[in-house]
Amino acid sequence: MKHPFPARSRALRALAATIAITSAAVLTGCTAGAADDRTVLTFFSWSNEETMEPVIAAFEKENPDIRIEFSNAPPVAEYISTLQNRLGSNTAADVFVIAAENKTNLIEGGFVTDLTDEPFMDVASEFNTATYASPDGKAYGLSLSSWASGIVYNVDLLSEHGITEFPTTWDGFVETLTTLKDAGVVPFLESWQGFPTSLGSSVGLANFEAGGTVDAEIFAGKSTFEELWTEPLTPWQQLFEDGLISPDVVGLKGEQVRDEFAAGRVAMMTAGPWDIGAIREANPDLNFTFAGVPQKGGEPFFTGAASPGYAINSKAKEPEAAKTFLEFLASEDGVRIFQEKTNDMTTTSNYTPTIDESLEVPFQALLDGKFYLPMISWPRYQDALYTDLVAQIQLMAQGQATPADVGAALDARLAQESGE
Amino acid sequence: MTLIDERPTETAAITTRTRAARWWTSPMSTNGPTFQADRLKIGLFLVPMLVVFVALFLIPLVQSIWWSFTDFNGYSTDAAFVGLRNYENVFTDPSMLAGLGFTLMFTLATTVLITALAIPLAVTLDRAFIGRNFVRAIYFFPAIPSVAILGLVWGFILNPLGSGALNSLLQSVVGIGPVPWLSNSTLAQLSVIAVGVWTSTGWHAILYLAYLQSIPDDYYEVARIDGASAFQRFRYITLPLLMPAMTVSWLLLMTGGLKVYDLPITLTRGGPGFSTFTITQTIIQNGVSQAKYGQASALAVIFMLAVGAIVAAQLIVSRRLEGRLS
Repeated sequence: MKHPFPARSRALRALAATIAITSAAVLTGCTAGAADDRTVLTFFSWSNEETMEPVIAAFEKENPDIRIEFSNAPPVAEYISTLQNRLGSNTAADVFVIAAENKTNLIEGGFVTDLTDEPFMDVASEFNTATYASPDGKAYGLSLSSWASGIVYNVDLLSEHGITEFPTTWDGFVETLTTLKDAGVVPFLESWQGFPTSLGSSVGLANFEAGGTVDAEIFAGKSTFEELWTEPLTPWQQLFEDGLISPDVVGLKGEQVRDEFAAGRVAMMTAGPWDIGAIREANPDLNFTFAGVPQKGGEPFFTGAASPGYAINSKAKEPEAAKTFLEFLASEDGVRIFQEKTNDMTTTSNYTPTIDESLEVPFQALLDGKFYLPMISWPRYQDALYTDLVAQIQLMAQGQATPADVGAALDARLAQESGE
Repeated sequence: MTLIDERPTETAAITTRTRAARWWTSPMSTNGPTFQADRLKIGLFLVPMLVVFVALFLIPLVQSIWWSFTDFNGYSTDAAFVGLRNYENVFTDPSMLAGLGFTLMFTLATTVLITALAIPLAVTLDRAFIGRNFVRAIYFFPAIPSVAILGLVWGFILNPLGSGALNSLLQSVVGIGPVPWLSNSTLAQLSVIAVGVWTSTGWHAILYLAYLQSIPDDYYEVARIDGASAFQRFRYITLPLLMPAMTVSWLLLMTGGLKVYDLPITLTRGGPGFSTFTITQTIIQNGVSQAKYGQASALAVIFMLAVGAIVAAQLIVSRRLEGRLS
């Protein structure tokens, strides 16, 4: 059967062909007058474009022959899976972020370039560089900042109940919680849907006092989680038993706790530098400041870690441009622009950050090395251990597990992961 | 009268369908060159679907089965054959066992509750009343937004503190103290199930409604004349004719329930403890976060077989029920 409108059919075919050719040209970038001779450096970040844009703009201005092609995925799981897929298909960016969660796989898989002898690494702090180094000491990530989280407290609310100085001892902390609870004030909240600052600081102090090598000993089979964790967790379990902390913490998200604090409905919560802006925005009149987490038998301590670093793909298409970019990121200008945009606590030797006055105490803790985060300190199996850790501490808060059970569960998981 | 008018139409429809089926299957249809050409054209139309099926389902499936026997970590392409080791590990993982328990509980509870609520709701929405279309739209609305967004919203409603939306309401209306909706293991499980039921009941009610509207009014008219009660009309007319809809609804609820991930992860992140952990969460955590693609693939293969078996059993039961009731 013949088509009734052959002329129209030809016209349609011609139109389809035109559309196809135009689309192909657009998709492949073959448009007249759009030639760009600049070297294209690909950069995959877990910060969004708005955060990285000032640094990228400054870099491109200083290096007019290099253009950065930016892409990002939000942390943590989505970033890691996207990077995994790109590495597996040989389409990963020249520069990408190396984090605690993927550093072992990236280093052991040979996906990142050894940066040990690069001059720009000299400005990075020893701690930050060691965080993203292999067991033999080779550096694979340029980490410019660190973070520390502690307790923020409502200064006016505590003063109203006669507490003019934040306690620095455990007994003083318990007394403060009791005073506030008796007065009908919710004394303390934090989210236990992840690993909380309170426990991180207590385990951190135990590790610090033992010389900071406990995790290495655990993974070497010379010690156990049960030995390290039972004692630091016990006082916190007691707070739940005494009703000074509500088991509701296991069902709260971080932003819900922050909203309660900003609204003046809770006297204390744990927080990091990222919470400052949100609290000020929600309640500009709130008088609050940071303190370390009081500890039983020791000085106040913080939870914290080196921020993720920048790594160069071992199969980078533009390795020299990648090094130039990292060199700029580590320069005084690069660090300053980055810090001004993110308010991060930068720890490089070439720039002293101007930080929010409420963050002076945690910043000092960073300088003193009084912070700890187990997931960074563990050399392997971070996510597997973390999943069990969060589940076990939630059971502890509900009175269904003891501190010893938490440690024992981690030991069992480590044994399973190690194939023992 | 209406019945008599409709019969020729129904017969005509059946005749058309029979002819079409005969055309497709009859050996006679393959003889003529026109029929051959038409079949080729139809076959060509199926090619894109086949390509999508092979590229997005068959190849990943075969790949997953192969990975389940290797130590593939998602990074290195050098994966070594490890035999059945991944399958052994799956059954000793505490999060997997906990995930299995809650996943089955969620699937069973949502299937039963949604069916129990959606059918009466559909019957009600089938009646004539002012604002009927608006009410239908209201009930259908929870099916529109992403479940992850609904989970976040419900997270604020079920906030276990006294300032949580539901707790504030209960305090002001009933005078009871804060209920730990998401911070108590049992209540957290019930909360996730309740939100799951809330999000899907309206959608399934609309599905039942579509089938209800295909039941001729004459059946009810005749039953009324014969003196059948409302319950009898429901039991002997509505229910048997809704059985095909129930088969579809149960199939969707069972497969959706067994694959549940976004609702518990946004409401409770799998906690407290492992109380709302799901199988899909375990697969994603193993594969992505822990870089154990091999083990995650083993779990995915076992899960796929289990889902296939459960769904097959459900279909057999549904078909038998259809036969018994109709």
